Amino acid sequence: MEQIILLIPGVPILSALLTHLLGRQMGRRVARLSVIATLLTFGLCVAALWMVIAGHGPQTVSLFGSGALLLLDPLSTLMAVVITGISLVVHVYSLRYMAEEIGYGRFFVLLDLMTATLLLMVTAGDLLTLIITWQLIGVLLYFLLGQNTRDVSAYRYAFWTKITYRIGDLPLLIAAVLLYQAYGTGSLPAIFEQISTDPGPHQVLGWPLMDVVAGLIALAAFARSAQFLLHTWLPYSMSGPTPVSALMHAGIVNAGGFLINRFAPVFVHSSEILHWVFIVGLFTAIIGSVLMLTQNDIKKSLGYSTMGQMGFMIMECGIGAFSLAIYHLIAHGLFKGTLFLGAGNVIHAARGDDGVPKDDLYTFVVERRPIRQRVPWRLMAAMTLAVPIAILVAAHWLVAEDYFQKQSAIVLLFFGWITGAQLIFTIYRMQTRNLRRLITLSIFSFAVVVLGYTLISHAFDLFLYPDPAFREQIYAAADFDLFWFDLLMGLIALVIIFGWLIISFSEQNGHHKSPYRRRLWLSFYALISREFYLTDLYTRFSRVLLAFAGRLNLWLRWI
Amino acid sequence: MPTGSYLLIGLFLPLFPLSMGFNFVLGKSRSTLLRIVLLLLWPQIGLILLPMLDSPVPGWIIPLALFTAALYALRALALRDVGQWSGFLATSAWALLWIARQGDMPMLQLHLFALGFSAPLVLLTLLGAGLARRFGAAYTGLYGGLAESLPRFSAILVLVVLAIIATPLFPTFFIMLVTVMQAATFMPLLAVGVTLVWLLWSWAGARLLQGFIVGPAGDEAVIDLNRLATGAYALALTLLVASGLYGLGVLL
Repeated sequence: MEQIILLIPGVPILSALLTHLLGRQMGRRVARLSVIATLLTFGLCVAALWMVIAGHGPQTVSLFGSGALLLLDPLSTLMAVVITGISLVVHVYSLRYMAEEIGYGRFFVLLDLMTATLLLMVTAGDLLTLIITWQLIGVLLYFLLGQNTRDVSAYRYAFWTKITYRIGDLPLLIAAVLLYQAYGTGSLPAIFEQISTDPGPHQVLGWPLMDVVAGLIALAAFARSAQFLLHTWLPYSMSGPTPVSALMHAGIVNAGGFLINRFAPVFVHSSEILHWVFIVGLFTAIIGSVLMLTQNDIKKSLGYSTMGQMGFMIMECGIGAFSLAIYHLIAHGLFKGTLFLGAGNVIHAARGDDGVPKDDLYTFVVERRPIRQRVPWRLMAAMTLAVPIAILVAAHWLVAEDYFQKQSAIVLLFFGWITGAQLIFTIYRMQTRNLRRLITLSIFSFAVVVLGYTLISHAFDLFLYPDPAFREQIYAAADFDLFWFDLLMGLIALVIIFGWLIISFSEQNGHHKSPYRRRLWLSFYALISREFYLTDLYTRFSRVLLAFAGRLNLWLRWI
Repeated sequence: MPTGSYLLIGLFLPLFPLSMGFNFVLGKSRSTLLRIVLLLLWPQIGLILLPMLDSPVPGWIIPLALFTAALYALRALALRDVGQWSGFLATSAWALLWIARQGDMPMLQLHLFALGFSAPLVLLTLLGAGLARRFGAAYTGLYGGLAESLPRFSAILVLVVLAIIATPLFPTFFIMLVTVMQAATFMPLLAVGVTLVWLLWSWAGARLLQGFIVGPAGDEAVIDLNRLATGAYALALTLLVASGLYGLGVLL
């Protein structure tokens, strides 16, 4: 087991070294070496995960006898499998995709180093290893995004990424320093052990240490996971090569969710921080999704989609569903990676066929095909509301009588419901010639989504946090006051119902708007399409700062 | 003579406005060797003089030192000349030694910290001289695309700048980490200030790099670093990383 732990980051580091050294002799074939090494690392990670599932307890290994620790527990092994899996796909894809790019060998060296750093980050068992790898990821990503050194704009946006990541590095650094000073050790298991026993009376500037540290860690997670106000780099980082976009959106940007999970014992002892995490996540999910809808560039649209998904993930953490966030980041990583790697094909296909569907009247009159229909909106709306209630009632009878009282269970069901409602909205927009089949599929998919989300996240809960008392502690830390909880649930239900009513209203009025409403709508659209002017604001701020620095230099005679 | 001592030490361990003295001298030095000597010896002189202060460092010095570090880091953002950039980054970094000193750090360690800050700046000075030989000036934005025209030179330049801006595994990273820890011990808000200075370094470093390595290569034919010079720089950087790892061992 110990050898496997050391080999997991060791193999990609060795691969990076060999790819660099043998690049001249082997030419482009050297990339295959990198692919084989990643495949080997993936195998090692799967073996480690298997061992953990088989019951090998969490284990820490000292790195070459130093105080640097690698930690193998359910969270780190699961994340390691995800990272190496995605990295392997990106490696294989890049073999041909990057073949005509300059700096082919350098690209694979950077890719290997990034894989190794990500693996070290998720397996870090001490504060120092964690902050070193956390910072190195930003540096490596900067050079990966700027792979094409001729492209000035790619570097410009790579810089945005780097500086946002640096902003996120600093709170984590301060949090690490505060934890080290309070508990006298850098070892994460030792710190968590002390916190679990007794967090102590430590205070920073009059605030409880746990609140300050949890707040700083949440800030670091927000910057890494592109939460609102720290998100502007994400959609603009598309100037980098597509495999890097895939790796970034599928693996790197999810690190915020991982970090919050890693520091779960800290969040358990904080008071209000998880509520703030929830609010930030909720806001980001809404803003990201709205911005996504206005994009006409597929990669930028995927970028904002990632922002929305990250908001959703952070929101899950904020409501205490920590393991659900891990499930979410894995699922998001897999589908977003696939979408990015397929984006080129979509662009290529769009050049041949614009994909705009033919008018219904045309297909009916000219092509003599039966007209396509939409599912009645009332049926879909009823389904959205009825299925979760049916599942809740069934759970009350079959699982536990006090199911209604378990906020954690309702939380999981709640997220399943929201996801399912999104699915139903999407299905409703489809048109079909076989209405009955679509309705049957809708009911089935909705039930699968709600049940699947609830059951799978429960399975993740059992795997990542096997101690039931600790699971309860997490939910308790995020526990909303019953009044607010009910209010929130009611509000979300109202939003979904309101959505269906708007659809009904639009259908009845044929999407006609009064001139005033049209103007209002256009102003709103302009605001969104300019991304709330945040990018302009940041650009303006940096220009003012640079001008001020230049003015200072002039005043002080450049000395 | 405490006032005289403070003025003298504030000149060598830069405190604004005395910090302008070092940058004036550095700017007037045309010889690369002299610049290297200045970068290596200037803070060491300040540290040698430091025991002249019998009393503990007064409280007002620490905010002034942080202000000096932040001021020069901010001003470095608008610089395009490598020589001036080195001087400003050196001033910003050395000013932070006051904060490390406040945490009762042994003098030997402070000397090593100063050396750790100076060493990558010495490498940058040598690279700057190389650029001036090839293009007539070491100035960002005049000629971009070095990654294409001078790939070996660019790789070394990138690593040296990363070392200066305290990227992990280089000794500057561990020095900054210790400084943040020292600052957090007696004033947590001071630690925030130090990290903001660090952030400005990263920004300044990225601007410097982008001004040199990015863009299409120019038309003029220039000669890249030869293998021997590349090996020498690589060895120096490896030594820096090794000393960083040694620092990591000490910290752990």
